[in-house]
Amino acid sequence: MKSLRLATNAFKGLIKNKMRSFLMMVGIIIGIATLVIILAITQGANKKIMARINSFGPNAIMVHSGGGKMRGPSSVFDANLTQKDLRDISSIEGVKIVAPFQLKPEMPIKYQSQFTTATVSGVMPNWAAAWKRGVSKGNFISTEDVELLKRVCVIGETVKKELFPGSNPIDTELLIGKVKFKVQGILQKRGASPAGTDFDNLIVIPFSTASRRLMNQPKYIAMIRVLVDDPSHLKMISQQISRVLRHNHHLSSDEEDDFRLRSSTQIVETIKGVSGTLHIFLLLIAGLSLIVGGIVIMNIMLISVSERKKEIGLRKAMGARSKDILLQFVLESLAITLTGGILGFLVGILGVKIMELVTSTPAVISWEALALAFGFSFIVGIIFGVQPARKASLLDPVEALQ
Amino acid sequence: MNKIIRAKSITKIYSKNASVSVEALQDVSLEIEKGELTAIMGASGSGKSTLMNVLGCLARPTSGEYFLDGENVNTFSDDELAKIRNSKIGFVFQQFHLLPRTDALENVELPLLYSERSDITKLAQQALEVVGLANRIHHLPSELSGGQQQRVAIARALVNDPEIILADEPTGNLDSRAGLEVISVFQRLHAEGKTVILVTHDQEIAEHANRIIRIKDSKIVGDEKVQNPLIAKDELENLPIEKEVM
Repeated sequence: MKSLRLATNAFKGLIKNKMRSFLMMVGIIIGIATLVIILAITQGANKKIMARINSFGPNAIMVHSGGGKMRGPSSVFDANLTQKDLRDISSIEGVKIVAPFQLKPEMPIKYQSQFTTATVSGVMPNWAAAWKRGVSKGNFISTEDVELLKRVCVIGETVKKELFPGSNPIDTELLIGKVKFKVQGILQKRGASPAGTDFDNLIVIPFSTASRRLMNQPKYIAMIRVLVDDPSHLKMISQQISRVLRHNHHLSSDEEDDFRLRSSTQIVETIKGVSGTLHIFLLLIAGLSLIVGGIVIMNIMLISVSERKKEIGLRKAMGARSKDILLQFVLESLAITLTGGILGFLVGILGVKIMELVTSTPAVISWEALALAFGFSFIVGIIFGVQPARKASLLDPVEALQ
Repeated sequence: MNKIIRAKSITKIYSKNASVSVEALQDVSLEIEKGELTAIMGASGSGKSTLMNVLGCLARPTSGEYFLDGENVNTFSDDELAKIRNSKIGFVFQQFHLLPRTDALENVELPLLYSERSDITKLAQQALEVVGLANRIHHLPSELSGGQQQRVAIARALVNDPEIILADEPTGNLDSRAGLEVISVFQRLHAEGKTVILVTHDQEIAEHANRIIRIKDSKIVGDEKVQNPLIAKDELENLPIEKEVM
């Protein structure tokens, strides 16, 4: 009852000195707002990484033809992987699925008077298992399709939308380049990748048909998708694949790889490398503004203790004990930092929303951010409030009243 | 009779540093009975404020014994002294010492914040009624006249129902009418049985008390009964009417 009364009294005092209280809060508001924004960005980035990993496949390794630092998929023009590579990778322990495919982007597609361009991929039946993606309608590429070099295809939703608005594409014939293909299925929708590639602007055809009839690449394979039994084996299996390929391609130790391996671990490292520096920088700003905010509070509190000597003396004359005065000043400091923390949290959320609108960076506002805002405000309030409060509580009432 | 205050050979020495020290009270002994209206008179620097601080438990005597309501307060801790000040003593100061930006009611509630009482708003209202300011409870000090501010301060001194009211030059910052009004409040409290101690340098103010203790150069130099104290209420009626202050 009594301490509640003293706490209410401390809050009332702050309301009576609005300008002073606000100035004391500014540093805390900035510090907490920055903290909230950083957390939101970090968690947004983590979410993005998770989405990337999931769309890539957490236990997948992509083997690309051609070396160098190039990013993105390899097309048939670069193809240099062999059937022997395929067999050797299959025999590595822990490898579950090895799915070779040919790839050619931006191929012209025609149906009656409709034109579009799409990525065309020549696949084996195990492509569906390797990508965890089958047909939503019709049939996927079968072993027979591959063996007989059939001119059949399965089309993605985007292709369907472009060429067959409102009609059923199954069993119709379209032209890929100059070759006629029969549509035998629709691919499950996958949407856009986090990098922006449209996975639905895709047509898959039998591997053999692609190699011999469409892309003129009978010997080499453009890409291989490997699935391993456990994501923790990714690194080890990647190294083994690398060794096998270097051996098969007769690369001496001073020659660079003529292939590229990509897995989710590398994706995580790339993203983290970019955002890590920024996060450290922002955290530094947040930490500094919290410390500066705390010092500002301490200074203003110390000045106000001198200014309020009479009040302190009076309160003591009226029966306030030293610890009551101490409590009052600590509570005032806490009231300021906690109010500043709440305002800072709100400002931070506003900042995050604006940032999302302007830069379309994904951000996540979490309960952790609120808890952290409160925690830091509380700590700053205590650390920087105690010294002025102690000074106030030790004042001699007779001297203070003079 | 019940001696509420018994001070024996009180000495108070303020040491500024090792070489300079001021003896503000020298061997002061006095007794005040419950219900007395006493004036402590002296020029500035005579030690009367120090005496008030000691009697009010704001300062500890350097030597000597001080019994308040039968208890030797020399042995009390700081927290216990705070409790004594809170429950047994009501202070009234020359500069009023009201909290700015805080209305009359909240100013009067201040001592109750540090007590264990729970009905603080009601008690504060009653105290303001006693000093005739029931219709000013939500006024800020800046919206009140000097006399009204001092009466808020008296209400604050009264609100914990203390044994003793200690007033240090309570009329020092007031014109004569407002001063008389304040004195008449003290006389009424005295009539109701409170022990009131007025510290003043003004002979005329002192003559409203029943007893005058004179202090000079840190010593008590006189202690006399006042045969016919002035009655502030009567004087107010005889003052030429200027304007309504209440």
